[in-house]
Amino acid sequence: MEEQIAELTAQVAALQGSGGTTNRMFAETFYYLTIPLMIIIHAGFLAYEMGASRMKNVLSSGVKNILAFAFMIPTFYFFGWWVYWGFPTGLTLSEGPAGISGAAYASAIAWGWGDSAQYMGPNIADNASGVFFGAFALFAATTASIMSGAVIERIQTVGFVILAIVLGSFAWVVAAAWGWHADGWLVTKFGVHDFGAAGLVHAVAGFFALGVLINLGPRIGKFNDDGSANHIAGHNMPMTVVGLMLIIVGFWGFLMACVIVPGEAWSWFGDKFATIYGTPITLSSLSFNILMAIAGGIIGAWITTKDPFWMMSGALAGIISTASGLDIYFPGLTFIIAFSAGIILAPAANWLERRGIDDAVGAVTVHGTIGLYGVIMLGVFASGYPALQGEGVPTINLMGQIIGAAVFFGLGFVPGYVVSYILKMFGMLRVPEGAEIAGMDTVKVPAQGYPEGIPSSPAPAE
Amino acid sequence: MGFPYDTADWSVVDGAMFMGWGTAMPGLYTAIAAIICVAVLVIGHSSEAKKAKRFDK
Repeated sequence: MEEQIAELTAQVAALQGSGGTTNRMFAETFYYLTIPLMIIIHAGFLAYEMGASRMKNVLSSGVKNILAFAFMIPTFYFFGWWVYWGFPTGLTLSEGPAGISGAAYASAIAWGWGDSAQYMGPNIADNASGVFFGAFALFAATTASIMSGAVIERIQTVGFVILAIVLGSFAWVVAAAWGWHADGWLVTKFGVHDFGAAGLVHAVAGFFALGVLINLGPRIGKFNDDGSANHIAGHNMPMTVVGLMLIIVGFWGFLMACVIVPGEAWSWFGDKFATIYGTPITLSSLSFNILMAIAGGIIGAWITTKDPFWMMSGALAGIISTASGLDIYFPGLTFIIAFSAGIILAPAANWLERRGIDDAVGAVTVHGTIGLYGVIMLGVFASGYPALQGEGVPTINLMGQIIGAAVFFGLGFVPGYVVSYILKMFGMLRVPEGAEIAGMDTVKVPAQGYPEGIPSSPAPAE
Repeated sequence: MGFPYDTADWSVVDGAMFMGWGTAMPGLYTAIAAIICVAVLVIGHSSEAKKAKRFDK
């Protein structure tokens, strides 16, 4: 009998060990797969802004976007990851109630030197840090890509890379620490909820771009003397539209990476997925709501514009307008909010253009304006939901969401404006007029986008 | 609209957790979404037909 009990105990222990290994491998693989999915976002932005560029600028737009990605990864490694863990409680850098924040905590896990380096490199006992870092680094790359499209055809490459680093490895990371972390002061004090980062990624990046655009100025020929705007068509609308669709594909990875898997020491639950706030979520919720958001955004933009560029931008706007509450919206409501975002998209972009802002791809509107719209809409519909796990936690409320929206706006616009202003003072923001007229590819890129030109299509068969 | 449970605590949630659960709102949202789809098709067809008519000989 005792032998049988001992054997059974050993078998249970073996089963537990095997289950734990399976869960650990699942968790690591889950986040690992979000990384290539999010690289598809970057591929989409690359195609999107290259297509939106005129032929004389197509490769330089691509170079700029590729460099943003390349610089985002190491700078996020050098200090961006530290900022996320160090800043949640605000500028004091003190430890928060959940005990996973503050300068001491960040310094123990997020520096690439000293003892903390064990969590910043290959470590057989750590299956989590690298994949979490990778997912967050790709969020950072997404912010840089959002700004990248807005400033095409006249920005200096190095000036742009500096702006991308400030945005991707600092500005949005502070927003994430404050509003997308269980110790974040916007969450613990005001109940801010932004599950899919409508405000802290999209709005921050969109309004950072606005700050830059004010100092950068419009492309030559964009505005007439009377202030009216000319449409500067990109050289390849199909490429732009396919790029937008790729961004949609990548969003599935982006939103998947916003989920905390169960069963690990760092998980919120043993048996269910959680949001980054520790509130429950299912991937089924995301499937229902993302699909309805895409559809609603496209339909709203179609009815107002009939333009494939705005229709696919509408798909993005649909997701962004509902991203804050994809975990708790009902699909019918998601569709309605996304539809409204698709409707207001083009008029909001036109309003901005009438104020002399030349946003080549509508990034300020799609990501900035619609991002804040999404954050506030959640306050309208989700008031009363607990913002965190546990008893006596703050609840989601309209005022809290408005405060969050205002903070996200400031965290984007202020650094974007100030850093671009400094770059302008040093002559590092805009290319000279002659270079802009000649075309940035001729000036900067030792390669041709279309060495044989783009002939018109052959006549169809009889 | 608010949290669909009496206590604002996630530990009491054991099923549906979307906004409006337990009320008529989900049905209303679904109906509005369906009406939007039909209305958009009607308006879209009418607008496209008007444009196409200009090319009639």
